[in-house]
Amino acid sequence: MASTASGYTLVICEKPDAARRVAEALSGGGAQNSAADGVTVFKFTSQGEDFVVCSAQGHVYAISDPFEERTVYPVFDVEWYPSNLVEEKSASAARRIGAIRKLAGGAAKFVNACDFDTEGETIGFNVLRYACGSKEREALRAKFSTLTKDDVMVAFRQAKPQAGQGLARAGRARHLIDFVWGVNLSRVLSQSALSSGHRYRTISMGRVQGPTLAFLVEREIEIREFVPSPFWKVSGTFEKNGTRFTAGYSKERVGSRATAERDRDDCRGKEGVATSVVRSAVQVPPPPPFSTGDLQKEAYRVFGFPPSRTLQIAERLYLSALVSYPRTGSQHLPPSINYRAILQGLERLGRYSKVAKDLLGSALNPAQGAKTDSAHPAVHPTGEVPRGHLNPPEAAVFDLITRRFLAAFGPPAKRELVTVRLSVGGHGFVLGGGRTMYQGWIGSYDSYASTRDTSVPDMALGDRFRVVRVDIEERFERGPSRYNQSSLLEKMERENIGTKATRADIISTLVERGYVEGGDMMVTDLGLAVIETMEKYAPVIVTTKLTRKIEERLEEVEGEARGDAELVRETVRSIAEQLVGLSANEDLVGREIDAALAVTVAASHVLGPCPACKSGQLRIIRSRKTRKRFVGCSNYSSGCRASAPLPQRGTIKTTPNACPHCSWPVVYVMDGRTPWRLCVNPVCPTKSEGKKT
Amino acid sequence: MEALRQPCMSHEVRGEEDVKCVLCSRKAVSDLCTYHERAKRKVEAGYRTWTKAYGEIEWKDYLDKVKRNGQTGQWAKEIAGMLEGL
Repeated sequence: MASTASGYTLVICEKPDAARRVAEALSGGGAQNSAADGVTVFKFTSQGEDFVVCSAQGHVYAISDPFEERTVYPVFDVEWYPSNLVEEKSASAARRIGAIRKLAGGAAKFVNACDFDTEGETIGFNVLRYACGSKEREALRAKFSTLTKDDVMVAFRQAKPQAGQGLARAGRARHLIDFVWGVNLSRVLSQSALSSGHRYRTISMGRVQGPTLAFLVEREIEIREFVPSPFWKVSGTFEKNGTRFTAGYSKERVGSRATAERDRDDCRGKEGVATSVVRSAVQVPPPPPFSTGDLQKEAYRVFGFPPSRTLQIAERLYLSALVSYPRTGSQHLPPSINYRAILQGLERLGRYSKVAKDLLGSALNPAQGAKTDSAHPAVHPTGEVPRGHLNPPEAAVFDLITRRFLAAFGPPAKRELVTVRLSVGGHGFVLGGGRTMYQGWIGSYDSYASTRDTSVPDMALGDRFRVVRVDIEERFERGPSRYNQSSLLEKMERENIGTKATRADIISTLVERGYVEGGDMMVTDLGLAVIETMEKYAPVIVTTKLTRKIEERLEEVEGEARGDAELVRETVRSIAEQLVGLSANEDLVGREIDAALAVTVAASHVLGPCPACKSGQLRIIRSRKTRKRFVGCSNYSSGCRASAPLPQRGTIKTTPNACPHCSWPVVYVMDGRTPWRLCVNPVCPTKSEGKKT
Repeated sequence: MEALRQPCMSHEVRGEEDVKCVLCSRKAVSDLCTYHERAKRKVEAGYRTWTKAYGEIEWKDYLDKVKRNGQTGQWAKEIAGMLEGL
C-alpha cells in the first residue's frame, strides 16, 4: 500500500477485538489506543503512513420499514437504518457510527478489514457507504483467514479495491429478502392469531425457518402415529475347546414368532461348523479438516455443544488468533496456510508437541475433503500459543480443532476385519470383529476417534463347535428418531438452505419461538399448527424449493454472474402472492393458530403429577388478586390443597423431572444469573439442609 | 371384524361451528382430526402385521399391547386407548 500525502488511512474492522489484533499486527505492537466519542480506536505510523484502526460492532445498520406498527402489512418499502433506530439492544450503534463518521472526515484512504464473507462484506460496505460518505468503491479490501501477524501483514500488502462487490450485494439482498419475507409473514400470522384469540405472541416465519420447521413437523407426525411391529432376534451361544462365544443369526430379524421358535428348535443338540472365515485388512483414511458444519456436528457428538454455542466459541478462538476464520464451507487446507509453520507452533504446546514433531519429520500432505470455499480454508489452528487462560469449553473446542488438523496429516490407520460364518443344521450365524493393527491418524485424534476393537474367537474353516443354546428374544421395531440440533443442521446443509453462519441461529430461534422444545426437538402444538396452516394457505413458503432457488441465485450474485435487483424483485413478487392467500383467510388462519397457542401455553404451565392427590396436575397459576405466581393443583375444586410459592422474578421453565427426594416437580429458574434448578416443594428435605436441589 | 368397528359419535354437529376431534382440540374431519385419523389407519393396519407375527392375537389384547409399548407414538397410543374403550 502506498503512503498518502495528507490524511490517514482509516481501517474498518468488524469487531473491537479484531481491530485490536489488526492494529497490533500492523504496528508491531506499538499502536496507541485512544477514545473517539467513547469508542476505542488504535493509532500508529507504519512505514511513514499514519493509520487509524476502528471497528463496527457487528451490524451497525439494519433493514427496517418506516412503520413502527407491528400491525402494518404488507411492507415492501424498506431501507437500511442505523441499528439503534431498529433494535433497542443496539443503542451503542449510534455512538459507533458517529465516531466512524468523524474519523472518516480526516481520512485520505479507507481499508475494509471486516471478516471476508457475506456478512463481513455487508458490514464493511454499509459502514463505508453510510458512515464514510460512499467510500465503498474506492476502499481497499484486506482479506485474511487468521488474525496472526503474518496473515494480516500479507493481507494489507495485497489489499486492493473490490470490483463488482458481489459478496456485499448478495449479503444486502439476502438481508432485504429475509426482512420482507419475515416481517410480512410474521405480522400476518401474529395479527391473525391476535384478532381471533385476543392474545399477542410473535408467530415468526422466516425464509429458512419455515422449511426447517416443516422437516421437524414431518418427522414429528411419523413419530406420533408410529405403531411398532414385533420381530424376533435369534442368537446362539456356542462352545469350542471349552471357550464359549455368542453369534448373531444371519437373518437380522425374524418376522414371526412361529418361524423363530422353529429355527431355534432346529438348532437344538446340533453341532455347528465354520463355513467361511474371511480376514481382510482395510485402510481407514484420515478424516478431512473441519468445515463449519463438520465442526458443529463433531462438537455436538463429543461434547454435546449445540451448534450455535460451538460457533460462538470458535469465533472467540478466532479473535484470539488461535484458530482460522470459523465460518467456512471448506474441507481443504491449501499449502498457502504454511503447514510447517503451524506445526512448529503446535510443537511448543506440550500436549501436541510429540505428534507435531513426528509430522514435521515427514512429507506434509493433509487429507482434503470434497467441499471447497473460495474465501477461507478449513478451520485450523494458527500455531499461536494461547496467551491467557482458556475456559473449559474454549479449551475443548480448541483441542478438537487442533487434533483434527493433526489427524488430517496422519497416515491411514490399518484395521483387520474378521467375518466368520457358521452353520448349525443349515441355519446361518455370523461372528464379526475388528481390531486396529496400526493407529496412524487415530493416535493424533486421540479419544475423539470412534473406532473400537472387538475380538472374535480363534476359528478356522471347517472347525466344529457345540451348540450350548439358541435364544430368541421378542423385540419391537423402533420408531423414527427425532432430529437433534446436529442432525437437523446436517439436514439443512443437505437441502442447501440457510448458510453456514445462520443455520445454528435458525435452530435456536425455533426453540425460542416455542415451535419446538427440549434437546430432542419435539414439535409443540404451535409448531404443528403453524406448518399445517402455512401448507394450507401459503404452501410455497414452507417448501424448500423456493428458498433453495433463492440460495442458488444469491450464490450467482456473489459470483457476480447475476444482478441483485432482479432477484429481489422476483422474490418480493412470490412473497406478495403467498400473502394474498393468507390475508384472504385471516380468520381461519387466526382461529387455527390461536387454538394451538392456547394448548401450548397451557402445556408450558403444567409442572407434572400432583404428589399429594396423585390424580391432579401441579400447574403454575397467577393469583387474580395479587398477580403473584404460585404452584397449585388442578384438583383444587375437588379438595386438593397442594400448593407452593414460586420466585416472582425471572422466567420459570418446566422440566419433565421430579425431585428424587420428595417426587415434587423440578423447574428451572432463569433470573439473569446462571439458571438454577428448584424443587417446588417448600418442605423438600433438601431445603431443610439449606440447599437448592 | 371387530377392528373395523367405528367409534361412536361423541359430539353433536352444531350448525356451522367447528367440530372438534374427540381426542384433541383440533378441527375434526369426521370424529377425528387428520392426525388421529391417520394414526387410526396405522393402528388398524398394524393389527394385520401383529396377527401375522404372533399367529393369533385378540383385537383387545393387541390394542392393550400397542398402548403400553414404549415405541408407539402418542397419537397411536391415544387411538389404541379410544378403540379399546369401544
